[in-house]
Amino acid sequence: MLKNHIKIAWRSLKKQPFFTFLNTFGLAIGMAGGLLIALYLYDELTFDNMFADADRIYRIDSDIKFGGAEIKGTEVAAPMAGAMQSDFPQVEKTVRFRDRGSMLLKKSGTELNSKELNVTFADSTFFDMFGIDLLVGDSRTALTQPNTLVLTRTAAEKHFGIRDALGQNLLLNNTDTYTVTGVIDDLPKNSFLRNHTVFMAMAGYADSHEDNWGNSNYYTFIKLIPGASVKDFQSPLQGMFKKYLLPWAQDYFPGITEESFKAAGNYVRYHTIGLTDIHLNSTNRQSEMSANSSIQNVYILSFIGLFLMVLASVNFMNLSTAQSLKRAKEVGIRKTLGSNKLDLIRQFLTESGLISFISLILALIIAIVALPFFNELSGKLVSIPYSNPLFWVILLSSTIVLGLFSGSYPAFFMSRFMPVTVLKGSGENSVGGRNIRNSLVVFQFAISVFLIISTLVVFQQLKFIQSKDLGYTKDQVVLIDDTYAAGNQVQSFKEEVLKLGQVENATLSNFLPTPSSRSNGSYFREGAMNQENAIQLEVWDVDHDYMATLDMKLVTGRNFDRQFTTDSTAVIINEATLAVLGVGPQEALGMRLSQDIEQERPEFYTVIGVVKNFHYESLRENIGALGLFLNNTTGNMAIRLKAGDFSNTIANVERIWNEVAPGQPFSYSFMDESFNTTYEAEQRLGKIFMVFTILSILIACLGLFGLAAFNAQKRTKEIGIRKVLGASVGQITFGLSSDFLKLVALAILISLPIGWFVMNKWLEDFTYRIEIGWWVFVLATLLAVSIAIITVSYQSIKAAMANPVKSLRTE
Amino acid sequence: MLLQLNNIYKWVNSGGQRIFLLKDINLEVEQGEFISVMGPSGSGKSTLLNVIGMLDNFDEGEYHFLEESVHTLKEKDRAKMYKEYIGFVFQSYHLLDDLTVQENLEMPLLYKKYKSPERKAMVADMLDRFNIVGKKDLFPVQLSGGQQQLVGVARALISNPKLILADEPTGNLNSKQSEEIMDLFKQLNNEGVTIIQVTHSESNAAYGSRIINLLDGRRV
Repeated sequence: MLKNHIKIAWRSLKKQPFFTFLNTFGLAIGMAGGLLIALYLYDELTFDNMFADADRIYRIDSDIKFGGAEIKGTEVAAPMAGAMQSDFPQVEKTVRFRDRGSMLLKKSGTELNSKELNVTFADSTFFDMFGIDLLVGDSRTALTQPNTLVLTRTAAEKHFGIRDALGQNLLLNNTDTYTVTGVIDDLPKNSFLRNHTVFMAMAGYADSHEDNWGNSNYYTFIKLIPGASVKDFQSPLQGMFKKYLLPWAQDYFPGITEESFKAAGNYVRYHTIGLTDIHLNSTNRQSEMSANSSIQNVYILSFIGLFLMVLASVNFMNLSTAQSLKRAKEVGIRKTLGSNKLDLIRQFLTESGLISFISLILALIIAIVALPFFNELSGKLVSIPYSNPLFWVILLSSTIVLGLFSGSYPAFFMSRFMPVTVLKGSGENSVGGRNIRNSLVVFQFAISVFLIISTLVVFQQLKFIQSKDLGYTKDQVVLIDDTYAAGNQVQSFKEEVLKLGQVENATLSNFLPTPSSRSNGSYFREGAMNQENAIQLEVWDVDHDYMATLDMKLVTGRNFDRQFTTDSTAVIINEATLAVLGVGPQEALGMRLSQDIEQERPEFYTVIGVVKNFHYESLRENIGALGLFLNNTTGNMAIRLKAGDFSNTIANVERIWNEVAPGQPFSYSFMDESFNTTYEAEQRLGKIFMVFTILSILIACLGLFGLAAFNAQKRTKEIGIRKVLGASVGQITFGLSSDFLKLVALAILISLPIGWFVMNKWLEDFTYRIEIGWWVFVLATLLAVSIAIITVSYQSIKAAMANPVKSLRTE
Repeated sequence: MLLQLNNIYKWVNSGGQRIFLLKDINLEVEQGEFISVMGPSGSGKSTLLNVIGMLDNFDEGEYHFLEESVHTLKEKDRAKMYKEYIGFVFQSYHLLDDLTVQENLEMPLLYKKYKSPERKAMVADMLDRFNIVGKKDLFPVQLSGGQQQLVGVARALISNPKLILADEPTGNLNSKQSEEIMDLFKQLNNEGVTIIQVTHSESNAAYGSRIINLLDGRRV
């Protein structure tokens, strides 16, 4: 029986190559999209799973409110790890990381530095904790001694072969000598350590041994003993504040009590987060070890994937039931010859199963071809796990499910045909399901229109962000990273660069208004030197040319001036600081701020100017209080160029760099580009939306095209009669197309309010956002309608042009 | 007695009026009969045939088939009955275009769960009997109308039905082809098969042993 089913299925597919193509192609696109998204989601959901006992490892996070600032952080104080180890019997191991950012590495005796972007101090328990094996070296001793480090394979191979690595000396940032005690494999791409390449022994980092509970700078991971529940020590964890932090603070803030601390609205709370939760569920926390994704993206993508599959499935149902006119006779005959409903259902399901498998093969081919593009789009490195049997099992079983799901409606629909009615051969009236087919078309187009709206809004918001007045000018600014490598030659580097004809201005500073880790401190205004009146101020060290180079505007007061030697104790605050101080711009001038609370002779900084607010975090955040301080800093250099040939100028800058800092790497970027990377997530989302919008429209069009063809075919006789009676080609085309356009119009009516609602929700994430304009909806409508017209009109015109004599005769 | 119809009525409601398709039909058919149903277009011939074939329902009356009361049976059991005992032959043959002659013949057997070797034997038998062994791998479109109907009859016969219902079996055939088909029916009837045919043609009706005339749903 099955053989017979497959045979007839195969033949009927072969007989109608056009419909078969539409069916399989539509389904294959949906499946390929679903497959790629599934691989992506799998990668996202299995982050950090590869580490030993990942389910028992937790990170300690902290929520701290102090001095008017709230920080949701991922780091805690240095002694926390030790305290937990000794206080909680459930804690088996701890490990701490202290990120050092980027560093220059040089093999002793050579000249060339290589730059490693993510360098960290790590406790010697690191390898044991995460189950990381050393390629060379001994994991028990590797990070126990000061001034030793472990490299990843890639970082090591820049300097020496892995086998020769042990015992080699490396010079870090041209100052400290470290000995290599081990090499590990490159860390997995889907782990929180993926960017880290150098691990230095914590043992040599003095700060890590101090009993300092005030600075939260250590990523602290704990591993519980098997069977221990993390819930059991949530409340003792909160007790750490009273047991350790408070006594420590009392040395610095005499008289501080838990009550007075809380009365001022302050708090310190500790949390645990599971290692495998970090990637998706640790949102809105500062300074992660590597950029996280969010569970929201997982949801959005799951929905898109599901949409796509459902769309393809709906397409299948539509095309299959549309064809049922042709199959009706077969159903009638089979029934009179003794087939029952179940047999027919089985037969049609076999057919849809066969189509699904053909589609699967096609989908695999599409997915393999599209994978590199998809990886670029999603910023991931997923691959098809050919060798994983589970993958094939899931793939095949989901294909079967999809085939059954898509085939079920047509199967039940067609198996219901009564032989007497369908064998009479009048045809048209005997085949129903028109309403269902129509609602499926409405459904498909509603989704497509929704996706069009989403895409438009996402891109519009991105454009808005990129063109918003940021309070400074980011165009034509080149950033030179790591100028500190030039040591005391930095000033002469700047002077030489300023001599170049195309350079308008240049500045040295430690922070630029592009997102990065920052430092802030508690400041107090003169006359209110107590805790309750603390102001959390971002502290940026700049030079005299900072504001001119970045084109920042003063609201009042003046910039730093070389003629005033007192400017070393001056500060320029931003408008947001005014709000915290509760004063106007004029009142603020001359105000004196200090960090030194409870001291005899505090050092004061005088406010000499107020700078117009400028955005330094992503536009999702508000602008906080910030002060610019004059300081000799060498962190990085920003150069404003005059319009013209940038590459020539940059080549000149590099030449100067190589003269003042031979052997040090030269790396630069354009400020507007590094600004754009802030919105990488949104840009990705925008592109992903666009791609899947196109795919869903394509699928919807395939369905509509097939339906139009079916409709024209069904109405051949009617069209013939109309033409004989004098209808023009235009009238008939319009008549045929308008049926479908009504459906599309209905779809648009449904999806416009949904699109408006959902996208407004999305925009709420941004502090600075667009209003969704009416033109978005007009454009989406126009797009959908014109796509539908193009799709339908080919078939309609073809039918309308046909010779009526022929169509009437064949009937 | 093969079947018996008592006071069969069938109607449709149209615009508040009840239009009778069959009105008070009484009919007894013995095994081995060859009955021709005649009448003008719209007189209810095909409807009667469909009722007898259990493909269509009726609104009033009793229908006994082989001592079984068809009017009391559920849809499912009725389907079981006609599958078991009745073979259909259609005016437009209704062969499945996607199947070869051989496969078309085999299809009813598939639904009756015959084993493969049995099916093969029965199909071969039928091909032999109708002299179409040479055509077994052809598709219906490759055959003439007469040959297609020959396959149609063979298909109706293959599972040894008690009754063959033929709705204008020669309606689409030329006179020579239709003569061949009618000869075949006659021969089958002589071999003991009960046949009820609907026809417009007096000459075809003459092949039968009895003629039933219908007019506006009534026997006349």
